[in-house]
This record gives sequence, C-alpha cells and structure tokens, in this order.
Amino acid sequence: MAEEFEPKIIAFLCKWCSSAGSDLAGVSRMKYPPNVVPITVMCSGSVSPLYIFNAFQKGADGVLVSGCHPGDCHYIQGNFYARRRIALVKELIEYIGLEPQRFKMSWVSAAEGKKYTQIIQEFVQELKPLGPQKKLRREK
Amino acid sequence: MVNLEEIKKEAKKILEEGKVKYIIGYAKSSNALMAAPTFVKKPEDIDKLIWDPTCFQNLVKFLIDEKRKKAREKEPDTRPIGIFVKGCDSRAINVLLQEKFITREDVYIMGLSCEDVGVLDKKKIFKKLKGEKPEKIEFDQRKNIVISTKEKTIKIPLKEILAERCLECTSSFPVISDVFWGDRNNRSPKEPFKCLEQIESLSQEEKWDFWQQQLSKCIRCYACRSVCPMCYCDECVVDSINLAITADTTAEEKAQKIKWIEKSPESSENFGYHLVRAMHLAGRCIDCSECERVCPVDIPIRFLNKKLEKVTKELFDYKAGLDPEQPSLVSSFKDEDPEDFIR
Repeated sequence: MAEEFEPKIIAFLCKWCSSAGSDLAGVSRMKYPPNVVPITVMCSGSVSPLYIFNAFQKGADGVLVSGCHPGDCHYIQGNFYARRRIALVKELIEYIGLEPQRFKMSWVSAAEGKKYTQIIQEFVQELKPLGPQKKLRREK
Repeated sequence: MVNLEEIKKEAKKILEEGKVKYIIGYAKSSNALMAAPTFVKKPEDIDKLIWDPTCFQNLVKFLIDEKRKKAREKEPDTRPIGIFVKGCDSRAINVLLQEKFITREDVYIMGLSCEDVGVLDKKKIFKKLKGEKPEKIEFDQRKNIVISTKEKTIKIPLKEILAERCLECTSSFPVISDVFWGDRNNRSPKEPFKCLEQIESLSQEEKWDFWQQQLSKCIRCYACRSVCPMCYCDECVVDSINLAITADTTAEEKAQKIKWIEKSPESSENFGYHLVRAMHLAGRCIDCSECERVCPVDIPIRFLNKKLEKVTKELFDYKAGLDPEQPSLVSSFKDEDPEDFIR
C-alpha cells in the first residue's frame, strides 16, 4: 500500500514569541501534525534568506518563518526588517518557479498556541497535494 | 551634446593642477566595438580618452580595487580619483557612498550624459553582422552606426543595437557629479520593466523550466561577481577564502566553518548562488548589466536583478542609488510596508 506523502516543514521560530507559542501548543497538549522541524532563532529579523534557500536545498518541502506581531518584537524592530526581507524572498521564489505555497511567514505571539497549530495544519494540507519538493533539492 | 574636447581640457587641467591622482576613463581598444578602460596619469596622455556608445563598462569597480590598494600602502596618496561615469555608473557611486564604502572626497566624478542614446550591446551587433569581424565603426549623427567589415559596410540605426538596459533607462544622466557634460533630459520609457513581462507571463512550471535551463548552464566562474561594483565583500558567502585548509587545520575549525553553498556547478548549488546574489543586490543593483555582459554562458542574470528592482519599487517605493543619504533598503522599514502575505 502506498504511503501518503508527509511533507517536511522547517520552521524558523523567533525565540521570544513564536517559539514560546509553539511551546504553549505543546504544553497545552494541542494536537497538530508532526511534520514540522522547529528551529529557534533569536529574532525573525535574523533569518537570512540564505537559511531559507538552504532549507530548500537540504530537502525541505516547506519553510515557515514566524516572528512576533509588529510592535511586539523583543528587539523593537527586528520583525519589521524581516517583513521587508521576506517579502523579497517570497517574490523571488515565485519568480524562479518554485511553488509559492511552499514558503510562508506568520506572526505568532507567545499566547497564540492555537494559531500556531492552525498554521501548521493548514500548511501541511497545502503541501500534501504538491508532493515532494525536488526543484531546489541537492542531489546526493 | 557632450564635447570630447571639453572633457579633455578639463582632464588636462585637473591632472596638471594635481587635483586628482589619476583619471579612469575610456580609450580605444583593439576591438572596434568595445572601448577599453584606461588610467590616465600624465597630462600628455589625455588624447587617449574617448567618449562614444562603445564605452559600456562600469568603471566604478576600479574604485573598489583602489580602496584595497590604498589600505595596503604605507603612505597612501589621498588625492581623489577622477572617474568617468554614465548615468548608471553614477548610481553605483551613490550606493557605495550610501554604504560608506568610499567617501565623497575619494572621487572626482566626471559625469557624462548618455542623452538620448546609450551604449551598445555587442551581442546584438554580432547577430547583425552574422559572424563577420568588424574592422571599423563610426557614428553618424548619434542616430546610426556604420560598421565596416572586410567585405562590406552596413548602416544600422542605433536604436536596434542599444543595450536592453539603455532602452529601459529612466535617468540617462549622472545623478551625482563634480563636473558634468551633456543634457539632463529625463527619459521616461513607457514600460521600464518590459523585459520582465516575457518571464512573468509564463506559468509556474514554465518559469521553473526557463530558470532551470538557464542556471544549470552556470559554470561558476564568478565573472558576474568580479565585475559587479556592488560585490565588494572581502569574503563571499559562496567561497570562503579566509579559511585555508592546511595540515594544521583542526577538525573543529573545519566543522565550525559553515558551507552554505557548495562550489560544484550543479543545478541546486547554482540556484543557491544566483538567488543569494540576487538577494544581496536587492535595493543595491543599479542595473548596469555588467554581470550579464561578462557571462560566458549567456545567463540572463539581469532578469533576476531587474525583478527585485521592480518588486522594491512596487512594494517599498525604493529606487537604488538616487540619493547617497537615503537609508538602504534592508536596513530600513516603514510602518506601512505590505504584510498581506503574512498570516
């Protein structure tokens, strides 16, 4: 029997909000798909486009960047810088022909465990019909 | 009209006065279609200088070499460098000033307006010549180009062989200069991003096929990086030069060095390199198209940079190199930046 495709998602979560949000989802025993590999970064503004491209090169099917809501950044402005940069990455990814659904950005605060689970659920649902990401993947 | 004699007079004056260390300009080369960059150090050499549509190189790159050279000298000559700049090159100087890589005192900017012309695209001419070697070229009233080969002489309207970027140029005159020749006519092409339509209209799979085909050609010679006036990092992310692996390099040192992108010219790595380069040039690329010109395998690199230029214009209303005082694109933000793509 053919197994259903399970996408692998790399999530860059900021330490102060989104990471705590995902933690809240965990300690509250909320159920969400186990497809996501969370990577805690200090701020969404510290996510270099290189991280995103590299995640795709290493075979991620989807990449999520999540930070604090605008105005809530621990470093005051980090997520505003991220917003600009990620907008560019998103456009570029679409332009070269990678499915735009494979890349997402979200604002998740430390209290939004529920929102985090919803985002992951939706992301997995969107990625399933796309199948594995082979375009940028490194051939080993 | 730009008068070459006036340029030479000014060049001679500043060299004789010792106002500049030397002048970087254009001279005739052995190739009729291409002017060669030249360094004029003595007033008696100024007759070498030329100015016509064959002067397509961006000379700003030499300022970066000059800065590096100066840093190594014990008692550097701190006089400014005279440099010929076109409209696009002047924006490159602005970006370097904005990033504080050079200071205004380092350069004596000799601005030349392209006016209603621009510079040639060698590839377009070669197509017209169908393999024949040009021996001599002449410009007929800035409207036509007369190319003589061994067998014949052909006359082509300049419009047909101008570089793509010149056809889409919005400011054909230098935005910053110490001396200036020519007219300050703002050109307003109806569709400054027309070249992108061709790719943008493709479906997602077609886009991928196009870029896959183009970028897998890349041999990673880094000519685009070498010629780019904005690529001045001491160490590029794609090849680490500061970690030389010797017999003494410990395993720990090797392990700590993250290799984001491998050097092998495979499709995935090439995408990594070109995407990262495009991102690094977002809000900095001034569309001099030098990367595309020097590419030995004809990758349309300009389309990547131009796309980001368009996106930055549309989303953030930002244009690179217009003002040395403006904050750079990725180190600034506005409250009203779009966030409809964020959940």
